[in-house]
Amino acid sequence: MNSISKQASQTGLFSRVYSLFSVLKKLPPQLSEEELEGLIKVLPADSANSMKSLLKPSIQQASMTFIQMLSTALEETKAAKQSGKKVVLAPFNFPPEIIHAFDNLVPITTEVLTTLGVVALEGQGERYWSYAMGLGLPDHLCSANTIDLGSMLSGMDFEPDAIISGCVGSCDVNSKTHEFVSLLVGLPQIALEKPPDNTARGLKIFKNNYYKMIRQLEELAGEELKDENLRMVAEKVNRCTELYRDLWELKKQIPCPVPGIFSLFICATRFAMWGRDEGIKTLESCLAVSRRNFESEAYRSREEAARVFWIYLSYYYDLVRFYDWMEENHISNMGDALQLAFPEPLDLSSRETILDGMIESAWNNVMTRQMGAASMSQRWIEDIVYVIKEWHINGTIYCGHHSCKQTWSVFSMARNEVLKRTGVPTLGLQGDSWIRSMTPMSVIQEEIEQFVHNVINKRGRRRRTRA
Amino acid sequence: MTVLNSLTGVIKNEYVQQARARGQKIVGYACLATPREVLDAAGLFPYRLKALGKGETEMADAYLSRFNCGFCRSCLQLGLDGTYDFLDGIIETNGCDHLRGMFENWQYAAPRSFFHYVRVPHLADADSMRWFVEEIELLIEALNEHFGADVNDYKLNKAIEIQDQIAAKMRRIYESRWGGEIKVSGHEIMSLMVAEGSLPAPDFVKLLDGFIGTLEDRKPINCRARLFMGGAATDEIGLIAELEQLGGLMVADSFCFGGRLFLREAVAKAPVHRLAEIYLNNLMCPRMFMNYPQRKAFILEMIEKAAVDGAVLFHNKFCDLHGIENVKLKMNLEEAGLPVLLLEKEYGAGADIGRLKTRVQAFLERLKR
Amino acid sequence: MLYGGIDVGSLTAQAVVLKDNAIYSFQSIRVKPNPVDSAATVLEGALKEKGLTLKDLCFCVSTGYGREQIQKEGLSRENMSEISCHGKGAWWVLPQVRTIIDIGGQDAKVIRVDKDGELVNFVMNDKCAAGTGRFLDVMSKTLGISVEELGPLSFKAQQVIEMSNRCSIFCETEVHHYLQRGASPADLAAGINRTMAGRVMALVRRVGPEKEITMTGGVAKNQSVRKELEKAMGTRMLTYHVDSQIIGALGAALIARQLRGVKQ
Repeated sequence: MNSISKQASQTGLFSRVYSLFSVLKKLPPQLSEEELEGLIKVLPADSANSMKSLLKPSIQQASMTFIQMLSTALEETKAAKQSGKKVVLAPFNFPPEIIHAFDNLVPITTEVLTTLGVVALEGQGERYWSYAMGLGLPDHLCSANTIDLGSMLSGMDFEPDAIISGCVGSCDVNSKTHEFVSLLVGLPQIALEKPPDNTARGLKIFKNNYYKMIRQLEELAGEELKDENLRMVAEKVNRCTELYRDLWELKKQIPCPVPGIFSLFICATRFAMWGRDEGIKTLESCLAVSRRNFESEAYRSREEAARVFWIYLSYYYDLVRFYDWMEENHISNMGDALQLAFPEPLDLSSRETILDGMIESAWNNVMTRQMGAASMSQRWIEDIVYVIKEWHINGTIYCGHHSCKQTWSVFSMARNEVLKRTGVPTLGLQGDSWIRSMTPMSVIQEEIEQFVHNVINKRGRRRRTRA
Repeated sequence: MTVLNSLTGVIKNEYVQQARARGQKIVGYACLATPREVLDAAGLFPYRLKALGKGETEMADAYLSRFNCGFCRSCLQLGLDGTYDFLDGIIETNGCDHLRGMFENWQYAAPRSFFHYVRVPHLADADSMRWFVEEIELLIEALNEHFGADVNDYKLNKAIEIQDQIAAKMRRIYESRWGGEIKVSGHEIMSLMVAEGSLPAPDFVKLLDGFIGTLEDRKPINCRARLFMGGAATDEIGLIAELEQLGGLMVADSFCFGGRLFLREAVAKAPVHRLAEIYLNNLMCPRMFMNYPQRKAFILEMIEKAAVDGAVLFHNKFCDLHGIENVKLKMNLEEAGLPVLLLEKEYGAGADIGRLKTRVQAFLERLKR
Repeated sequence: MLYGGIDVGSLTAQAVVLKDNAIYSFQSIRVKPNPVDSAATVLEGALKEKGLTLKDLCFCVSTGYGREQIQKEGLSRENMSEISCHGKGAWWVLPQVRTIIDIGGQDAKVIRVDKDGELVNFVMNDKCAAGTGRFLDVMSKTLGISVEELGPLSFKAQQVIEMSNRCSIFCETEVHHYLQRGASPADLAAGINRTMAGRVMALVRRVGPEKEITMTGGVAKNQSVRKELEKAMGTRMLTYHVDSQIIGALGAALIARQLRGVKQ
């Protein structure tokens, strides 16, 4: 590796995120405005921007729980090596609860790490992206994966003990990136293939693959998957599911009482801490804040210029100028397709029923369910149509994350079908969800403004509500 | 050579026209993982989709995006502009995400009455093999039902036999460049590989026999450097020809319209199982997982046997599978002492040929050739 | 002994006449529609300056656009890629140089050479014009200034407005967008130059640069891009007293001298 590229990456993403969160978790549970002001002043610009948004009084309660949850996840990862545990790196579409059920395994989610880096670190994740590009990797890879893995490739970050490639069959770019990292760093790779077959036969093949993966994890952990652990996690998974559904229900209200940024909190919980007490606490505090909003006369009387759903991803690199900006402009950010997992409660009758439920949950997890289906468009469109009806969405946006060849393949079809079936228009943007320099936020904002004013409002589908 | 030129210059070639005239059904497929023997055994004419370097994608761009692979966009264009209207059916495979997108949009915008999806596993372990056997059985069922075919073991064995013959003949021509003088250029080899999926198997046997008959009398071709080429799905014979004009001849390759086409190692005797092994175990494509060492060994072996001086690895813009794997391959080939040039290109972009040639010429200069 | 080198680029064409081990004459012109005409005119100009004709050259090498055609027309005896020529030319003016960043009108290349100026490795931008002189041309027009002003103007910037990583056409829209929002041309100029440097850095990282490093091609004259690149690489680049635009033609002439021994 050339020295200039190495120099550029300096310290790994994980180490930097870990350092920042070990400071953040020491913050008092409630920050006064002065304390928040003070904190923002000492942070570098990029981190300060995110903290300003995350710790604003209206959502602070949930944000603090969220920060504590992530700190725990990071600490467990960091401590794993010393305590003889193994760290398993997994992509977002792999449900982590099965790993939580092992005493000797700790999961860490690539995309969650990348997002934390992008949100919380000065200079965001670009130095790691550049490092990966310096190796000759093409610039059409997924930044969500490449930023964290780029950091790992630089050899200056913590190394997991194995990598689960949970998107073999549903996402070429990410599974191939996992393979590349696995080969280059010398990490064992566990491939979980999802057949593109929606029938019982497809599920049967997937189930077999999943059981095979459990055996590989048992080997890695040096322990068998214990019934009592599995049950304990499953019970907590069910509590998470219950809370997730409660939040889903609240989103049907007009105006939406669930703040837009909670979609990020919910996803991070699903991707990293589902089936854990910390995950439950995060969802509980999101629910508490949303219920408080729902019950507040002032909140309910606010204007809602549009209810917008992101049919794929959203943009995650600028909380202040994106989530807050939407809120200030009375655009309810109803979240993105990362919420389209539809978890079902697990049947706790036996080990087999619990595992069957977890397998179905993996089978139906976000993106796996849509892009990994027999058709990349059909399930995706059906889910968008469903959520439009459930949440009274009047405008959808496609962020146009460059690397997603699957959604880009069928976006045109999806836009036509969604319009045909629901009458709801879709704004097509182009950008990268994790790299700000691909499309500036001001350009995105301008296009959204135009869309809301000239398309959504003109179509008379505005759901403006005044008490 | 006229026959070969016509096969690689026109989509609706004379064999297609003859098949239409005699009422034979033609079924299109794209990926190397499609067991074409099943179609042969069903009495159909399997036609491998190609775009022959045509870069226009005006109609296709209303469906696929500019972030999709140019080869797939070009194939879709030909599907939408009527060029492929002669197809009586299409077989989809999950070769890659771009290809899946191409098939989905094709079926959405210009549906065919027969459209069957062969789901090819991404691993080649025992479980995946069982799954693929089932897939082949489902394909047989679908063909029998739709086309009234009667595929049986006897017919399958016959079809396998003829494909084995084809592979042996192709290998003979392919490897003729490996010892001493080169009498067949790389782009001619690619022409043969592109022709392979453009005519019925018995006709292709005749064509190969004719070609082999000319081998001895051919004059050796001047060669400045012996090159290995590999990477993305491409049938751009013209591009390889242009690059070879610089003096570096392609003596081995790992293109799917190339060196990957005639690998047929299998041990199973029952025809369906044998086909599953032929197509899954020998699929030297980066769409497969957990078997990079096998692909690397396949390439290194060719490089050694063909006494290669340098390697040029291509990928079509937005092709993640080759774009990523080429970087790993580059590292491994360089470790083995072979200079490597990585080339990202747009499919069918004739206007860009000058820039590609500059890089290949500089690479030859770097090789001191 | 006189040796000639011709380099036809997308915007300008150069010819260098080498006598023994020194530049005897050189000329640079705006290109004509046909690269052979450009080559003939520029070479004739360089020769005429010293009262010479083509016959006085004992070997000539062409490079750049239409290099093969120029050879076919008899203006050169051999053609070489501009990558080898820029490497050789830069090495001749700075023998300690090992990495050359060459940014021309349509192409950007990073070239590594060994102690003898021989090509070791290189990368070149793909089809996109975003990291080339063309990008600066388009951007400066959008700002309503000449490309030569882009460098000096950016030193007056109060803050740097970076352009997105997309193609030149999108960046043009972006510049308009920022201008409408009241951004200063100086801030935008600085952003354009930084964006340009960022794109070139992607190539630099790929080749694995080795010290010493220098720049050639027309964009080497833009001090702002140069400074941004130096900052990103964490190292100063070497400068030289020969016009950066003639390095390709000079390299071609040097290779002509080398080849004469082999081919004559």
